[in-house]
Amino acid sequence: MMAPDILTVAWKEWLEFRDQLLRLKRGGLSALIVLLMLGIITPLQMGPLWLTSPLMLAYWPLLSSGMVSTLIADAFAGERERHTLETLLASRLSDTSILLGKVLAAIVYGIVFTSANIVVGVITLTITHVGEGIQAPSPTHVGYMLVLVTLACSTLAGIGVFISLRAATVRQAQQTLGIIMMVMFIGPVLFIQFLDSEARMSLAARLTTLGTGRLVGWASALLLAASVILIVMAMTRFKRGKLTLD
Amino acid sequence: MSTLAIQAEGLVRDFGPIRALDHLSLEVPAGIVFGFLGPNGAGKTTAIRAFLGLVEPTAGSARVLGFDTRREGDQIRERAGALLEHHGLYERLTAEQNLDFAGRIWRMSSGERQARIRELLEQFGLWDRRREPAGKWSRGMKQKLAVARAVFHRPPLVFLDEPTAGLDPVASAALREDLASLAAGHGVTIFLTTHNLVEAERLCDLVGVIRRGRLAALGPPASLRPNDPPIVRVRGTGLDAVIAGEAASVPGVVEASLVDGVLEVRFAEGARAAPLVAMLVERGVGIDEVRHDRQTLEETFLELVREDAGSTTPARGAT
Repeated sequence: MMAPDILTVAWKEWLEFRDQLLRLKRGGLSALIVLLMLGIITPLQMGPLWLTSPLMLAYWPLLSSGMVSTLIADAFAGERERHTLETLLASRLSDTSILLGKVLAAIVYGIVFTSANIVVGVITLTITHVGEGIQAPSPTHVGYMLVLVTLACSTLAGIGVFISLRAATVRQAQQTLGIIMMVMFIGPVLFIQFLDSEARMSLAARLTTLGTGRLVGWASALLLAASVILIVMAMTRFKRGKLTLD
Repeated sequence: MSTLAIQAEGLVRDFGPIRALDHLSLEVPAGIVFGFLGPNGAGKTTAIRAFLGLVEPTAGSARVLGFDTRREGDQIRERAGALLEHHGLYERLTAEQNLDFAGRIWRMSSGERQARIRELLEQFGLWDRRREPAGKWSRGMKQKLAVARAVFHRPPLVFLDEPTAGLDPVASAALREDLASLAAGHGVTIFLTTHNLVEAERLCDLVGVIRRGRLAALGPPASLRPNDPPIVRVRGTGLDAVIAGEAASVPGVVEASLVDGVLEVRFAEGARAAPLVAMLVERGVGIDEVRHDRQTLEETFLELVREDAGSTTPARGAT
């Protein structure tokens, strides 16, 4: 019965993170700024398209996984930097439950982050479009978003575990993860830039033919495979014997 | 449970070219306070890590609470509590949350956790500050909280790695008292590493001295002191170099000298001080005080850790 142990670790991670949010230091203040930018300013600029555009299906997973990278670096590199990891390893918790508890907390954070932004955005748009009823995305769109956000966060959490276990400090882990995130953001844009116009048209046509549902399906399968591989690999690295000697 | 809480047999642990544990053999009976003494880098922390199954021995074996440290580390950690080199507290969390987390780890019910939090924080005098983040506390308070966390789930065996290190004398004394009360009457085995010899002498039933990964001595604190007869120090009037010379010729006296007006006399094995006192009275010395001074544990410890590391002398003391 590993589930209660995983939840115990996730609970502790949440307590630590909630404390940061409540004190409005570092993570808390930046989370508020992000909420203001993404939940209020962006919907005001984009209007109802903010809720329905298929582009948002890529936008939210990227943003939420960016936020997850901060948490995951703190959960692994931070725990070692603050000398709390060894005590945790000396407890009855298994390596796997510690790892999965931390990853779960990060994924849930990504989902909560996206959901909070969407709720604030819905409120913002409903207020600014008085008389047009509640401005909300379709349940299918919300479902797509949540699936993609969950898988993107778990993929990034998997990468984050590796980076954090190798990093000497939280800052170093966050910087490395920041670079990876940048590549994830800019990479696809650069890829499209380097295509000639014919190839771009062809790609656009192919994506349009595929349809949103199928695109989400492919992206989900890809992310699922990546996250499973990364987390399984992280499980082989996250072992007491190795961690105690680090 | 085995009557031995810890049993190590030829335990070796190498870190590259460095041998942290060098054929360490040790038996710690259950229900006692065991003091593990040694200078920095002697292998105390590595021994604790090995006993908890956190590092695998290069050679040899150890059983803790009857479980093999190599194969049954989970079983050991399930039953043991530990305060390691660092206190390991979550400084952003309150004292209450730190202990609550410990209780959740050991799957204690909510009611049980709340009762235990109150019991321990009251015992350690921390209850009134339970809602403060641990990071805001003094080092002494954090150490107390860390000890409370280590014993939270009522483990039969607790490892405490230098619990009073870095504390001021008042905080050390307070923590020592708390440790003594924890050990008393609960049947808990406490495995304590320390530099503080006074602490070891006051708290421990059995003491082991480790030097360069090897056990240099093992036994009750009193038994570790050499069986050398004591030095007798005589204070009084009329003591001078002539008297000291005469004292040296008293049967049984090995050496006598006058140090700052005090006559220091070392006796041969089994000799008694009475003939010396009789001689002094006869010579008209006005004796104010005759004191037998034994070697302290600290002196013994320093002697042990200074000895040649390559020595293959068997461990001093009894098992």
